[in-house]
Amino acid sequence: MLQHSLLLIYRNFKRFKTTFFINLVGLSVGLAGALTIYLWVHDEWSFDRYHATTGRLFQVLENQRTAEGINTKYGTAPLLAEALAEEMPEIKYAAAATPPKFFPKFLLVAKEKIVRADAKFAGKDFFHIFSYNLLQGDASQVLANKTAVVLSQEMAAALFGTAANAVGKTVEWQMGMADLKQTCIVTGVFGPIPANSTEQFDFVLSFDAFKDIMKMGESMNWAEDGPFNTFVVLHEGAEEAQFRTKISGLLQRKLTTNKERALLVQPYADKYLHGEYTNGVPSGGRIEYVQLFSAIAVFILVIACINFMNLATAKASRRLKEIGVKKTLGAGRFSLVAQYLAESVLMSFIALLIALALVELLLPQFNAITGKQLALAFKPHLVLSALGITLITGLLAGSYPAFYLSGLRPVEVLKGRLAGSVADLWTRKGLVVFQFMLSVLFIVCVWVVQRQIAFVQSKDLGYDRNGIVYFEAAGNAAQQPKTFLAELKRLPGVVNASGMWGSFVATNASGVPMEWQGRKIPVNHLGVNYDMLETLGITLKEGRNFSPQFRTDSVQIIVNEAFVASLGLQNPVGQLLENRRIVGVAKDFHYESLHEKVKPFIFRLEPLAAGTILVRLAPGREQETIGRLQRFYSAFNPGQTLTYHFLDEDYQAQYAAERRVGVLAQYFAGLAILISCLGLFGLTAFTAERRRKEIGIRKVLGASEFSIVYLLSSDLTKLVGVAILLALPVSYVVVKRWLESFEYRIALEAWYFLGAGLVAVSVAWLTIGAQAWKASRANPTLSLRDE
Amino acid sequence: MIKIENLEKIYRTEEVQTKALNNVSLAVKEGEFVAIMGPSGCGKSTLLNILGLLDEPDGGSFAFAGTEVAHAPERRRAELRKKHIGFVFQSFNLIEELTVAENVELPLIYLGVGATERKEKVAKVLEKMQIMHRRNHFPQQLSGGQQQRVAVARAVVNSPSLILADEPTGNLDSSNGNEVMELLTELNEAGTTIIMVTHSEHDARYAHRVIRLLDGQVVLEHAHV
Ligand SMILES: Nc1ncnc2c1ncn2[C@@H]1O[C@H](COP(=O)(O)OP(=O)(O)OP(=O)(O)O)[C@@H](O)[C@H]1O
Ligand SMILES: [Mg+2]
Repeated sequence: MLQHSLLLIYRNFKRFKTTFFINLVGLSVGLAGALTIYLWVHDEWSFDRYHATTGRLFQVLENQRTAEGINTKYGTAPLLAEALAEEMPEIKYAAAATPPKFFPKFLLVAKEKIVRADAKFAGKDFFHIFSYNLLQGDASQVLANKTAVVLSQEMAAALFGTAANAVGKTVEWQMGMADLKQTCIVTGVFGPIPANSTEQFDFVLSFDAFKDIMKMGESMNWAEDGPFNTFVVLHEGAEEAQFRTKISGLLQRKLTTNKERALLVQPYADKYLHGEYTNGVPSGGRIEYVQLFSAIAVFILVIACINFMNLATAKASRRLKEIGVKKTLGAGRFSLVAQYLAESVLMSFIALLIALALVELLLPQFNAITGKQLALAFKPHLVLSALGITLITGLLAGSYPAFYLSGLRPVEVLKGRLAGSVADLWTRKGLVVFQFMLSVLFIVCVWVVQRQIAFVQSKDLGYDRNGIVYFEAAGNAAQQPKTFLAELKRLPGVVNASGMWGSFVATNASGVPMEWQGRKIPVNHLGVNYDMLETLGITLKEGRNFSPQFRTDSVQIIVNEAFVASLGLQNPVGQLLENRRIVGVAKDFHYESLHEKVKPFIFRLEPLAAGTILVRLAPGREQETIGRLQRFYSAFNPGQTLTYHFLDEDYQAQYAAERRVGVLAQYFAGLAILISCLGLFGLTAFTAERRRKEIGIRKVLGASEFSIVYLLSSDLTKLVGVAILLALPVSYVVVKRWLESFEYRIALEAWYFLGAGLVAVSVAWLTIGAQAWKASRANPTLSLRDE
Repeated sequence: MIKIENLEKIYRTEEVQTKALNNVSLAVKEGEFVAIMGPSGCGKSTLLNILGLLDEPDGGSFAFAGTEVAHAPERRRAELRKKHIGFVFQSFNLIEELTVAENVELPLIYLGVGATERKEKVAKVLEKMQIMHRRNHFPQQLSGGQQQRVAVARAVVNSPSLILADEPTGNLDSSNGNEVMELLTELNEAGTTIIMVTHSEHDARYAHRVIRLLDGQVVLEHAHV
């Protein structure tokens, strides 16, 4: 059977080279697309799922009722974890931890070595809860002690030369901005954290130590929430539903006033893909991209399959007589079906080989776009899925021709009649419409995403993000900000400089409430040094900038226009708010991404602010100035080197996801159009094939070539037209929805849609026209000969 | 009306070369009825296709109504075909998706004849071929004889000066065959030139002249008495 199929494929190849080539290209490209997306989807799905406790591992969230609705927070109160462990018997482990990226990098100091590293404070059972590969140390003990530190293998090696016997050695950590430090003993070493983990950190410290440092012990109470993450693991066999009910009532019992808060839990493995909550219930997140791309993969495969069907049917009309004869000779329906299916499955496995090569070739590019490290490895799940997808593709592709052709009655077949039922016709028409709808949709998406990104690039943000570098200050620089900044400003090539606590772009600090005349609004604060607004290039609407020449009785603040509007302040300058004096009003500027509206904001003058130093460089000689900066920094801070970033990079990073979608949409648009055109090519071939004799007769009767081209192409052209008409409203809805995630966005213009339609029509018509022209030129005597 | 000299036609396939026509010369005058005979594969259809401007010869000359057309461009040949030549085939070659009337109408459409005039002409010719009552049937719904009458109707609807028939009776029984031969004779008597390929000595007797081919060459030419 296999030999027979191989022989048939080989003969078909020789007889129908073009068709074979189209099939192979279509199926390989389709499979390659599907496999790449599969790798991506699998990687997304596997995030945070590798922990041994998965299924019993939850993160505790808090719902807070506000005027706008329910707000769901991943941040919880610091005393929650311990209370849970004590009060709920179904909980096996509970631990609090500082959230990812909570601190700027710490310094780790051991003997002569200093390294910068990401810190995490976590409760005692952290390493029981999560399966971070503990190479040295015991999960129950590593964080039992307030002076404990668990290092990553990499950090241990960096500090001690080798990670081998790090346990027991002494390390001091320093928090750069606030003059905090502590000496710890290494209690454990963990191996590299997998890339598919939302948490990435370099060392773990005891959460109890953190509580001591922050003096949280005495003052903690249930009325305050907090920014901390709380994780729990249930006992095996514990009732999840019951646990959920119980925990949701917990705060009600603890709180005496303000009972507008409730706890809920989310399986930890769901956090990455289902990270968004609307009004207190899960409302998706990255899962939407996963679903979107999965759907695209399926579409692409189905389109490729149906292309195959069309071409197989087109070819079959030349093999009709052979089928008829076989059937007359007594070949059963089953054997014919089997023959076709075997042929198509084999074909799709040949396509798989090419697809694998394509994937291997394109993965580096794909990884660069998606920021992943996907690889074609010989893993069981991948092998099984690839084989499965290929098998299904083959069966799907072969099913239609197999059942359709084998189901024909021998008499009809022998008469050479392949009329094609109405249903068949609609199947094919539907396909073309579907394909081109997708293509138009993709083109519109590509266009709009590109325009929006260009808009984001060129939008006046209210500050000048170009030419600013920033770095985290440590040591002398942090301790003597005044001298440091003064000397810094004197460096040639430095236009201005200032310091702040925290970071400027994407300050995800949730606003601290401020009250004035009974109105209470959340406000984002930033403690800054003199000259910060000048360095950033933020302009004032009224009042004055911070200046050492003016002394005030209270803390000086500069607010933004949104702040003034939200509180409804008349004559804001000079007002006193909660012991803060407004000295100026800044024009609104976008400190968050353009997804967000500009919200109330306060610059608070803090002459000691030096956590993050911002430096505006004179344009044209940035590299030179940066070199000077680095030398100056090391001279001021012996033993330390400067690690700097451009502010613009942070700005761009806010749109990384959009840029990825934009680039991927481009590729998939290309793919969809390519495969759709293969489909059209096939359909035109099919029509030309089916009407070969008719074309011959018409030519004998004097039909011109043009009239034949028209005959063959008008139907398909109409279908493409219908597809475009249908695609326009769909794509309008899709891009509108996407744009709505931006508070500041481009207006949709008609020509985005018309242009996309035009591109699709042109490409389609070139494909059809070329085929039809070829058919119109065929010698009529050939088609009339074989009867 | 037709004059060919030293006509050659060679078919090349991957393995073999077939000389389908070898040095064929002949002339057909206006109003003549010529039969071409010969064993299977001797090149009759090939010759007819070239005469009908459906195919190009590889060598020799071909004058149609005084002008050289052996290598005329496709557009010109299509032009000549639809104005001057009607075809009748052994297997009728009707378009299955079109009705009897629509099939017959087709050459007129390609000639650019107006709708009302087309209706008249189609009706007239269907009447003459005694197939009017079947005008709205599809080809599959007709007998072989009826189908061939439709094919003849289609061939003559634009009053061509030349009719080429390739075994027009090949798929018909003798009474239907005779009917078609009577039709052709009538047309010929009305002035149409006819060249017909046939295997049947009986049919050949309707013609004025018989040309016999063998292996791509004219071996015998004789008039009927
Ligand atoms: N398209 C073609 N390709 C290759 N060879 C061809 C082609 N058409 C015809 N021939 C060959 O040319 C020769 C003449 O063919 P033709 O069809 O003219 O024969 P014929 O006299 O009409 O035969 P029949 O009486 O069986 O219809 C044959 O040997 C045939 O095999
Ligand atoms: Mg023949």
